[in-house]
This record gives sequence, structure tokens and C-alpha cells, in this order.
Amino acid sequence: MKQNYYIFSSGKLIRKENTLYFEPGESCEPQEIQTSEESIEVEDQTISESDNDNSEPKRLPRKPIPVEDIDSIYCFGELRFNTKFLNYLAQKEIILHLFNYYGYYTSSFYPREPYVSGKLLIEQVKNYLDPEKRINIAQKFILGAAENIKKNLQYYNVREKDLSYFINTIEEQITKISNSKDVQELMGIEGNIRSNYYIAWNLIINKEINFEKREKHPPTNPVNALISFGNSLVYTTVLSEIYKTQLNPLISFLHEPGERRFSLSLDVAEIFKPLLSDRIIFSLLNKNQINEKHFSSELNKCYLTEEGRKIFLKEFDDKLKTTIKHRQLKKSVSYRHLIRLECYKIIKHLLGEKEYKPFIIWW
Amino acid sequence: MYVIIVYDAVPKRGLKLLKYLRQHLNWVQNSVFEGELTESEFERIKHGIKEIVNEKQDSVIYYVFDSQNYHERGIIGIERNEIDTFI
Repeated sequence: MKQNYYIFSSGKLIRKENTLYFEPGESCEPQEIQTSEESIEVEDQTISESDNDNSEPKRLPRKPIPVEDIDSIYCFGELRFNTKFLNYLAQKEIILHLFNYYGYYTSSFYPREPYVSGKLLIEQVKNYLDPEKRINIAQKFILGAAENIKKNLQYYNVREKDLSYFINTIEEQITKISNSKDVQELMGIEGNIRSNYYIAWNLIINKEINFEKREKHPPTNPVNALISFGNSLVYTTVLSEIYKTQLNPLISFLHEPGERRFSLSLDVAEIFKPLLSDRIIFSLLNKNQINEKHFSSELNKCYLTEEGRKIFLKEFDDKLKTTIKHRQLKKSVSYRHLIRLECYKIIKHLLGEKEYKPFIIWW
Repeated sequence: MYVIIVYDAVPKRGLKLLKYLRQHLNWVQNSVFEGELTESEFERIKHGIKEIVNEKQDSVIYYVFDSQNYHERGIIGIERNEIDTFI
């Protein structure tokens, strides 16, 4: 049962005794050079003092992390690590996701692919190059996203909120998906669906949120900040799952390949955003688990504080572990595993074994 | 499944067990480990333990629970190492 580990504290990650240790401490490099220069000039007394410091360094408690238990590591704090550590991560096929001070996803340490398949890569490229095949797959992603968005709205519709107008408009848009001719047109439809969906958020969330439109780089209001953070988590989770399959994360169908980051993760993430991050945002705001004090805004941008990020991540982690009874497989699968199954379905489609059907929430 | 492993071994092999188990489970107290495992992982760990211990002198005991929901865990005194994926 591998798990995600989230590191907020600053310190050091090291490899020791064939497992990983977290050693809390200062984030900045110790300033060694300065003190050594000074100590030469000063008399014996100070040297013996500094010697004393060296012989009895403050031993901070190291925390062992069971290496076999790690799926991916998320770094939010300021951490230090060395090549020995990274080599060990690569050996154990662990992905390290890095986030900056504002909680914005910056990069991943993506170890050498353990599962590669030349045959699948060729099929992936072929499917991308053929406009007809490409649009076919891209449509599936949008269809999945739209259907899941509709499910979210229907869920709140029965709870004393009238969202029928939005549901109808989205249904109208869904019929257009299969007729779209190119990716640009498809993206336009997706934009329409999302803008409708986001207006509905004002009704779903029992708070004055004044949520008008989606803004990124940087987000300017709390809801946008939550969406940005949530989406980057879904994106990294999908990337971690793609890593465990033979798919190449660079070749995508809906988003332009190589345009930004690992674009195939962006494609697949579309389907899971409504299920994972959007639902968390609704419940966090409606239950007042996250409120104004969890955001800090400066210079017209708004981002989650560390406290806020922790609350969100806790929910996200629980969400990934939530299990449902899978209809076809006839066994319990976690939300995280659903993402992997989605990758397998895409592989089958690319290899021409079985037509891909996007995951749509069925409960 | 949720597994608790406790061991009693001569110091040399005790240290080996400590290092080995730290790779797979959460250390909670001297010679006590616990954690969530799949069945195959558990089999692998049992095999690894057998490689380390001398079955005539050492003793390793494990407790297996179907799920973490079916047992209650309490602490009296200090918690030596909090099990958490948020660090």
C-alpha cells in the first residue's frame, strides 16, 4: 500500500541504511567559511569553544520514512538533498514533485522510465499525427470532463439548489462535442462548458465568493487559488500514474504536445478534476474548513497559506484513498487506481484492442 | 492489511532487523514496527526476516489485522514517532 508523502518542514532528505530519512533543520547552507577564517586569528579559547560545538552537535531527531511505502513525494518546504538521495529515488522509482513558495507546481524529478514500449510509442505518435484519430481521442477527454462536470451539478441540484439552467446548457454543449472538427473548436466548446460551470459555483458554494472567471498566473481571488492548487495536485497525481504505465507523458492529444510540461497528464487530468479537486473545493468551503484566514494576498495575487495547503492536501490524500466498487472489475478500487485504469484503457485504444471510453462517474 | 511486527533478537541481528524493517514499515518503538501492507509485500518481508534471523535464538512476532478499522491504538506516555505522511 504505497502512499504519498507530503513534506512541509524545511530540512534535509537523505539516504541512510537503505531507506530515506528526513532530518529537520535550517533550510539555508551552513556558513562554514566565515567562521573558520575568524577562528584562525582569535586565540585558543574560541577554538576550543568551537571544537566543543563540533564534538557535540545538536542532534536533531531524524525521521525514518519507509522507502517501500513511498509512492511519490511532494515537497512544499525548503529541502536539501544530494545525488545519492536522488539516485536512490530513481532506483526505487519514486517521483519527487516540487512546489514553489506560493504552492505553484514547478517541476518533478522523473526517474528513468522503468516501463518503456517502443511499439506503444509509435502507436501514440501515429494516433497524434492522424487528425481524425487525434480528434477522436481528444473528444473523449472533453466528453469525460463534461459528463463529470454535469454529475457534480446534478449532485448539488437535488440539494435545494436550482442548477437546471446550467445542466441544460452543458447538455447542449455535450451534443456539440462529437461534431467538432479540430482541436481548436473542441477547446472552444470546453471553454464554454467551463465558464458555465464556474458561474454555477456561485450557487453551489454557500458563501459570497464573487467568482466570475477563471484566472491563473497568478490567481487573484481565493476560489481561483483553490482551483489552481487543486488542479496542480490532480496533474501531478496523473503524472505519477502515467509513470507506472508504458505511456509516454509527452505525446498528448487534446493539449498540444510539449507545449507545457507533460501534456498527456493535462489531457487525462481533465477527466478527474471534477471528481477530485472540484468536489474537495465545494466541501471545504461549504463546511467552512477553509476560510479567509487561509489565504494571503499581496500585490493582487492570492494564494493558500501553508495551513490552508495542509488542509487541502489532507482532504486530497483521503480522496485518493477512497474506494468504490468497480462495476466491470467487480472489486473495490481507489480513486487513485481509477486514474491508472484510465491509462490502461488509453493504451488499449492506441493499440487498437478496444475503443476508449472515458471514465464517467457512475454513482 | 495492517501489520504489527515485534522482535527480540541478539544485538547484532537486532540492528539488522531494525534497518531492514525501517525500509518497509513505520518504526514506532524500540523493536516495534507497524504499517499498512499488501499481502505480497508482507510475504516478501517475512522472507527477508527469515534471511536475517537465527531461528533458534531470535523471535519475531507479527499481528495481522484485516484493516486498520478493526483495532484501537492508544498511547500512554510519550509517542516516540508519530506515523504521518505529512512531515
